[in-house]
Amino acid sequence: MEGLASYVIRRLMWAPVILLVVSIVTFSLGRFGPVDYVRIQAGSHPTPESIERIREERGLNDPIYEQYTRYILNVFQGDFGESVRYRGVAVEDVILPRLWVTLQYNAIILFLTFAIGIPLGTWAALKRGTWLDPFAIGVFLLFASVPVVVTIPIFQWLLAVKHDWLPFGGGWLPSGGWEVREFLGVELGIFSKQIILPVLLLTLPGIAGLARFMRVQVIEVLDQDYVRTARSKGLGDLTVVSRHVVRNALLPITTLLGFELAALLGGSIFVETLLGIPGIGSFAFESIGSRDYNSIMAIVLIGGAAFIGANLVIDITYGFIDPRIRLRSEAQQ
Amino acid sequence: METRRLIFVLGGIFVAVVGVIGILLIATSGDGDGDGDGDGGSGGGGDGGDTPAAETPAAESTPLPERVEGELRLFGPDPITLDPACATDAGSAQYIVEIFSGLVSFDRDLKIIPDLAEEIPEPVQNPDGTVSYTFTIRRGVTFHDGSRQVTADDFKFSLERSLNPDTLSTVGTVYLDDIVGAEEFADKEADEVVGIRVVDDFTLEITVDAPKAYFLAKLTYPTAYVVDQREVGESTCFTNTEWTLRPNGSGPFKLDEWQLGQRIVLTPNEGFHLQPAPSLAQVTYFLAGGSALVMYENDEIDLTGIGVNDIERIRDPNEALNAEFSESPSLDTFYIGFNTTEPPFDDSRVRQAFAMAVDKEILTSVVLKDLVVPANGILPPGMPGFNEGLEGLPFDPEAALALLEEAGGPSIVRDVSLLSSGRGASVGPTIEAVVAMWEENLGVTVEVNQEEFGLFLRDLDEGRFQMFDLGWIADYVDPQNFLDIKLHSESVNNETRYSNSVVDDLLEQARTEQDEATRLGLYQQAEEIIVQEAPWIPLFHQKTNALIKPNVQDYFITPFVIPNLRYVSITQ
Repeated sequence: MEGLASYVIRRLMWAPVILLVVSIVTFSLGRFGPVDYVRIQAGSHPTPESIERIREERGLNDPIYEQYTRYILNVFQGDFGESVRYRGVAVEDVILPRLWVTLQYNAIILFLTFAIGIPLGTWAALKRGTWLDPFAIGVFLLFASVPVVVTIPIFQWLLAVKHDWLPFGGGWLPSGGWEVREFLGVELGIFSKQIILPVLLLTLPGIAGLARFMRVQVIEVLDQDYVRTARSKGLGDLTVVSRHVVRNALLPITTLLGFELAALLGGSIFVETLLGIPGIGSFAFESIGSRDYNSIMAIVLIGGAAFIGANLVIDITYGFIDPRIRLRSEAQQ
Repeated sequence: METRRLIFVLGGIFVAVVGVIGILLIATSGDGDGDGDGDGGSGGGGDGGDTPAAETPAAESTPLPERVEGELRLFGPDPITLDPACATDAGSAQYIVEIFSGLVSFDRDLKIIPDLAEEIPEPVQNPDGTVSYTFTIRRGVTFHDGSRQVTADDFKFSLERSLNPDTLSTVGTVYLDDIVGAEEFADKEADEVVGIRVVDDFTLEITVDAPKAYFLAKLTYPTAYVVDQREVGESTCFTNTEWTLRPNGSGPFKLDEWQLGQRIVLTPNEGFHLQPAPSLAQVTYFLAGGSALVMYENDEIDLTGIGVNDIERIRDPNEALNAEFSESPSLDTFYIGFNTTEPPFDDSRVRQAFAMAVDKEILTSVVLKDLVVPANGILPPGMPGFNEGLEGLPFDPEAALALLEEAGGPSIVRDVSLLSSGRGASVGPTIEAVVAMWEENLGVTVEVNQEEFGLFLRDLDEGRFQMFDLGWIADYVDPQNFLDIKLHSESVNNETRYSNSVVDDLLEQARTEQDEATRLGLYQQAEEIIVQEAPWIPLFHQKTNALIKPNVQDYFITPFVIPNLRYVSITQ
């Protein structure tokens, strides 16, 4: 296990470097981008002198490397600065409640995507050569190919307008939105009807990618000698598939988890903005529009850290799913 | 061993899938029941203590915050700031005017009324040409926490705070620069504003550099509101703003709760000094959520605006909601502006030609379905000085073509473009229709360039446009707020760079003219010249179209942001 530990430590040491690079790029893009929050917030009452004074006072006129150094030193001390969309409120106080909203329904989406995608891909692979395989994959591919900006109004019309099955939109609200219920001491909003629409909208396109990947893996494994051997031993179909096929096909699939996570965060921006869900995605959109630099930075850094963290966890999980990796590291001692 | 683990993995997935689906199903049915109960309860007009979804087995339910008797529920924007010195947008101002108060304010008839001042003071002309107002402040009015009376000193502090460059307000000087010494103070050349003098605890004297008729109207803006100096301290518009999450104001309502991005709850200030005092038990604003109209139909909010897509349905007399429909004018003007300093629109004939090629009747009645009224001039109806008889430039395609020919023919307007603010979706029915009219009546193809709001503002500032479309909403009720601010050659808000010395003279005279009728006459003269020279094509004035629940009494849709909620009540 020491091999694994040193591997993890090595990976963890890279994480800050990656985040640093990400922060530099994001910071520069923001500052080099046209128009700052001072001008935007002055709106239709611009007085050039006061705008210039605020820029000076807020350090927006300093060279960009000075601004960056100041920012990153504060971050190291745990200070992510203040929002300008919500004037003066600490960025974490703005972001964390919204992050919680997004995490809740995205956890369900992530789970459902895998729970449906993996069996579906396996099933499609086993039905290879029949019409069922391309048909099933095709249906889900359709959802994957249509952008959510198109599916959102269609689903809204179908499920909320034509049939009054689901609420039209729905934010995180006591009324007209997600009902918050206490469950095991935590306040959760996932028991609300409002959550079905965003979950549906993001799960369906996610399934196709995963199912297709799983299908390829399973097909590959099906052609392996050991599967043929297992079959020739007289093992039943189910045993072969579950013991030998799925198990071996699952390994590469775990890699997808990280990408799914990133895709979800991207998808959340549209779904939350268009459905009026006050999560991190809609706030990212809003922050860019209002040039809320500190909030944009914090969102990107959180997203980056989540991505790195997820991939790290996946790599460690590899060791558990595939005993060969663990054996090798033990043998090295 | 391996088999067992696999069975666990697959079994786990299975159980979890069934579990999640189960939970979703339970939640769905539970919510369905809840909705039904809720609708029934509100529909029956009662707060009969219905407890929706209490019987859900899977999770213990935290009940929805129930409607308090006499509660008004609204859908609102999420404010950027609740600091009166800093707010520049209507979205923030609508809360500030209910939580804070100033010396004077507007009532529902748009008359200036004394607020924390006992009465409207008469201006006194000083020998040096300046004018002083002596305000007597109401005694016994305290800040919300009841700990301290509002005094003249608080006003001096608050006004100077708005003007203080260290406060980093962009609007302090916009509204208060008529006060003697304001600019010196804002430039840090003076330690105080000499024109704001505390005579005694309840007497405040404000001196203005010239007899400006619109000064009191400007004092109704939040920049001149009083704040509690003990809690405000050294805070600026961008730092140490914690106090704005629970401010100690002196307005008709107290801020009880502000959950960022979720809701704002106001409760009445029991000791409010004006009549009628607030009678609502509570006002809840929902700051996020789906469609406001859907929320309204679900009885979740008591009022909603209506867009162009829903208006026909609501107007249908057979539609149940029709009875709850109400419309009222709004003090604004939407227009197309020209860059008057660069060809081809530096030639007034070209501008006139474009203006006369737009059929505003079709635009307002067919395209915008009478949600708006056509604009002939700059001032909106309801604004003092609004000229009923002003005809403006008529819709006349032939005359328009002739003017264009005279100015050099269609070739000079071959590559013109219109700058519009947007995010890449459709430019909207108004601009589409106007562009089509130019195409049809002048044979000119105008390209529409959509820009994100920030870029749009920058290009307006820097004059990088040929035409643009924009709206202007009143900050206070005075024609100066439209004509002088938007079209005086030296105003920073004059995006068109329109410059006419005759107009400038008229506007400057009007600033200090004491006779109200003469003053409004001066504005009308200026407006007439402006409309003829066409730096703007005034398109329309909006109406506020809204649905209001029948049990909401005396809700008045104000034409711009003024304190409003203290008049409203809820009946059973």
